[in-house]
Amino acid sequence: MSADRFIAYGLRGWFLVALIFIYVPIVINFIYSFSPGRFPTLPLGGFSTGWYELILSEAPVPRAFANSLKAGVIVALISTFIGFAAAYTDYRYRFLGKNIYLALALLPPTIPVLILGLVMLMFLSRVSLVGELYSVVLAHVVYCIPFAMALIRLRLAQIDPDLESAAWNLGANSWRAMREVIVPFTLPAIFAALALTMAVSFDEYLIAFFVGGLTETLPVRVLALLQGQVNPRINAIGSFVFAISMSLVILAQILLLTRRSGNRGIAAGGA
Amino acid sequence: MAHNALTHPAARKVDGYALFWGLPLVLWQVMFFVAPLVFLVVMTFWTVKNFRLAPDFDTVNWVNMFSKSYVIDTYFRTLGYGALGAVVCSVLAFPASYALAFKASPIVQRIGLFVIITPFFTSYLVRIYSWQAVISDSGLLNGLFGLVGLGPFDMLSTLFGTMIGYLTLTMPLVILLQFFSLTGVDRNLIEAAHNLGCGRLRTVFLVIVPSAKTGIILACTFAFILCFGDLVSPASLGGSKPPTLSILIVDTVKQGNNWPRAAVVALMMVLTLIVVAFTAIFFAYRVKKEKT
Amino acid sequence: MPEALLVLDQVVKRFGEHTAVAGVDLQFHRGEFLAIMGPSGCGKTTTLRMIAGLEQPSEGEIRLNGERINELKPWQRDTPLVWQNLALFPHLNVVKNIEFGLKMRNIRARERRERSMNWLERMGLADYAGRNIAQLSGGERQRVAIARALVTEPEILLLDEPLSALDAHLRVRMQSEISQLQKQLGITFAYVTHNQSEAFAMASRVAIMDKGLIQQIGNPREVYRAPANHFVAEFVGSNNIITGTVSALADGWVTVETERGKFKAPAPEPAPAKGDTLELVVSADLVAISDHAGAHENVLSGELISEEFVGSIITLYIDIGDGVVFRVQKQQHELEALDFTSGRKLYASWRPEHTYVLPPA
Repeated sequence: MSADRFIAYGLRGWFLVALIFIYVPIVINFIYSFSPGRFPTLPLGGFSTGWYELILSEAPVPRAFANSLKAGVIVALISTFIGFAAAYTDYRYRFLGKNIYLALALLPPTIPVLILGLVMLMFLSRVSLVGELYSVVLAHVVYCIPFAMALIRLRLAQIDPDLESAAWNLGANSWRAMREVIVPFTLPAIFAALALTMAVSFDEYLIAFFVGGLTETLPVRVLALLQGQVNPRINAIGSFVFAISMSLVILAQILLLTRRSGNRGIAAGGA
Repeated sequence: MAHNALTHPAARKVDGYALFWGLPLVLWQVMFFVAPLVFLVVMTFWTVKNFRLAPDFDTVNWVNMFSKSYVIDTYFRTLGYGALGAVVCSVLAFPASYALAFKASPIVQRIGLFVIITPFFTSYLVRIYSWQAVISDSGLLNGLFGLVGLGPFDMLSTLFGTMIGYLTLTMPLVILLQFFSLTGVDRNLIEAAHNLGCGRLRTVFLVIVPSAKTGIILACTFAFILCFGDLVSPASLGGSKPPTLSILIVDTVKQGNNWPRAAVVALMMVLTLIVVAFTAIFFAYRVKKEKT
Repeated sequence: MPEALLVLDQVVKRFGEHTAVAGVDLQFHRGEFLAIMGPSGCGKTTTLRMIAGLEQPSEGEIRLNGERINELKPWQRDTPLVWQNLALFPHLNVVKNIEFGLKMRNIRARERRERSMNWLERMGLADYAGRNIAQLSGGERQRVAIARALVTEPEILLLDEPLSALDAHLRVRMQSEISQLQKQLGITFAYVTHNQSEAFAMASRVAIMDKGLIQQIGNPREVYRAPANHFVAEFVGSNNIITGTVSALADGWVTVETERGKFKAPAPEPAPAKGDTLELVVSADLVAISDHAGAHENVLSGELISEEFVGSIITLYIDIGDGVVFRVQKQQHELEALDFTSGRKLYASWRPEHTYVLPPA
C-alpha cells in the first residue's frame, strides 16, 4: 500500500476512534441500564428492565421528568421567539450600537455554565424569583437564546435580500410581509430552533440545580444521585435522557438539511 | 387604483414594528443576564455577618481570597488544567477533523457531521457517570487490561480522569469547528504547494494550518472556556482533589453559603476568560506582517 | 396642461457622505416607455427605488398623479417593480406568485385566480400555473415576474435591469416581448439599464444618468446623434471625440485645429470665437476608411491596431498617434474589398456635416 493510501486510512481510522470515544459512554450507559444487579459489569450477566420500572415508580423521577418537559417546552417557545426577533432585527436593521446588541445575544455561551448558574441564583433569590420551575425557565432562556438566534440568522442569510422588499412593493405592509415571506422561509430553522433549545434545556443540569432549588429537573435528579454510590438508576434515567435529547437533535438536523428551496440564486438564468 | 385608505405618516427609523422585534432581546437579556452579572460584581463587596448576607461595600472578600495561597494555587491549577485540556483536545481532534475535511466524500461528510452533532447536546452528566464505570479500578478498561495481563491502572480520581472528562466535553465541538475552518481552506493553495514540491506533511503545517488558523484558534479557545469552567469532570472523574475553581465555588456555597466569596472567585474566572477571549480573537484574526 | 403621471422634482438622495442622486428632474408621461441609462453607480437604481418607496429622498418631491408620495410606504404606492434577480417567492408556485399583489389588496380568491390565469395565458405559461418556480427556465421566470407586477393593473411599471442576467439571444427576444407588451397595455414603463442597445431598442425616450444627475434626456435618435455633453458622447454609441482650438470661422463652418490635423464642422450657435476650445464628436459609423487618402474632407491617418466583430458590424481600432485610438465602424460587406493587415497605414475620413460640435461645458 502506498504511503498516501496508508495515511488516508490512518486518518479515517483516527476519526472512527474519535467517534467511538464519543459514543462509548452512551452505549455503556444503555447497556448497563439493563443490568440485573446493582453493580453493572461487562458481560452483563443477565437482562432486566427492573431499573426502568424502579425509576418510573419512585416519585422524584417522574416529577423531575415532568418538570424537565414543561420547562423544556416553555423555554423552547420563549427562546425561539426571542432568538427569531433578534435574528430578524440583525438581518433587517442597521443601527447604532448593533455590536452591543449582538453581544447581548451571543455572550452567554462564553460564560461557564457554573458561573451562570451561580449568578442567576444570587440575583433571582434577591428578587425572590428563585426555587421554582419558572426560575429555571428564566435562566434557561438566557442560555438558549444564542442557539435559536444563530440557527435562524443562518437561515435568514440565505434568503434573497429583495424578497421582503418585493412583498412590500406588491402591497404587503411590514407585518404581512413577515407573515407571507419571512416566516415561511425560516420555518425549518424555527422548528429546528424549537427542537434544539428544548434539547439544550432538557439536558442542562448546573443552572437548573442552582436555580431550581427543591424544584428538580431530571438532570438535577441525576446530579443528586451522582453524589451517592454507583446507581443503575442513573443509567435508566440516562437512557431516557439520551433518547429524548438525541431525537430532538436529530429532528433539528433533519429540518435544517432538507428543504433546499428558496436559496439565493433562483434568478433568471439561461433559457 | 388601490391605495390603502389610510396613509401613514412618514415612518422614522424606529416604528412599532421595529421595536416589537428589536426589544425582546434587550429586555430579557438586560433583566436576566446583564443585571445578574452586574449584581455579581456588587456581591463581591458584600459581607456575611452571622450567617446572613449583608449589603456592604467591603473589600474584605477580595483581600481574603487573594491572600489565601490555596486560592492562588487553585487559580493557576485550573488555568493549567484548562489549557492542557484545550491543547490536548485540539491536537487529538485534528487528525479526525482533517480526515473528515479532506478524506471524505460529501455524503460521508454529511453523515460524519450528523453523527458528531447528535450526541453533542445529550447529557454530559450521564456520560461522565458512564466513564466512571469504564475507568474505575474495577471498571471496564481495567478489566480489558486484566485480560492481557496488564494493570490495574489508576485512572479514576486522577488528572487522567479529568482529562477524559474534558475530552468528552470538548471533542465534538472542536472537531466541528476545526472541520468548518479546514473545509474553508482554498484548495488551490494546497494544490499549488504540492505543485511546488511541498511534501504532504509540510503542506499541512505550512499551508493548511495557517489558512485554517482562525477556526483552529477559536476552537481551542472554546475548549479552554469549557474546561476552565467545568465542574463535573474534575469532581467526578478527577477525585475533586486538588480542587479547581469550579469546585471551590461549589464548596464555598455549600459550606456556610458564603456567596460574596464565591462571587469573587466567579468574577476572577469571568475576567480571566474575557482576557483569554480577547487575546485569542486578536491572534486568530491577526494578519501576519510580511517577512522579507 | 395636466402634469405628467410621475414627476421627480429636484430629487436628491444622500447616503451619509455619499450623494447617490444629486438633483434629478424627471417626468414620466402616460403611456411612454422611458429608459434611464447610465454606468454602475450613476444613481439610476436608487432613483427607481425612490419611486417605489424603498428609499426616501433626502430632498425634493416625487408626485404621482399630482400628489406628493414621498411619505408613502412602499406598500401604499402602486408602483410595482420587476427586480433584477426577479425576487420570485420560492415557497409559492407560479400562479400564487402572480396572485400575490391581488392577495395583498384582499381580492377574493376566485377573482384572484381568474385574473392571474388570464395573465398566465397571455404570457403563454398557462400550463405552468401549479409549478414550482425553480422548475422554470430563465425566460419563463422573467415572464412570471412581469405578470406578477402587472396583474394589479398599475399605471406605471418599474423595471430594474430585468434582462441583465439573461443570455444574449434570450435578452433580445425578451426585449421585443416587453416592448410589445408596453404598447398593448399603453401604460408607462420606467426601465433602468446599463445596456445601450436595450434602452435604445425599446424606449421612446431615454434619460442618460451619470454621477447622480441626468446628463441628457430625449428620444434615442437625438441622444445618439446630438449628445449634450462629453459624458453622453462617450457613453452612447461609438463616438470619437477630438479636442482642438478654433482657428477659423466662415460661412457657418468652423475650422478646428488639433495635433493631428484640421477639421471642419458646422458652426454651432452661438458661434464660438477664435481660440476657443471645442470638442468634436465623430460617430464611428459615419467614417469612411481606405488605404489611400480620404474620400471626404476631414482626414485622419494611422495604423490599424485591431478589429472587433459583432454580428455583421466590424469595429476597427486605429492608432492615430501617441496611442490615441480612433474607431471606425463598418458593415462587413463594405470592408471586404480592402486589405487589412495589422500595422497598415489607413486613412479615415468623414464629411464636415457629419461632425457634431459638443456644447461647451
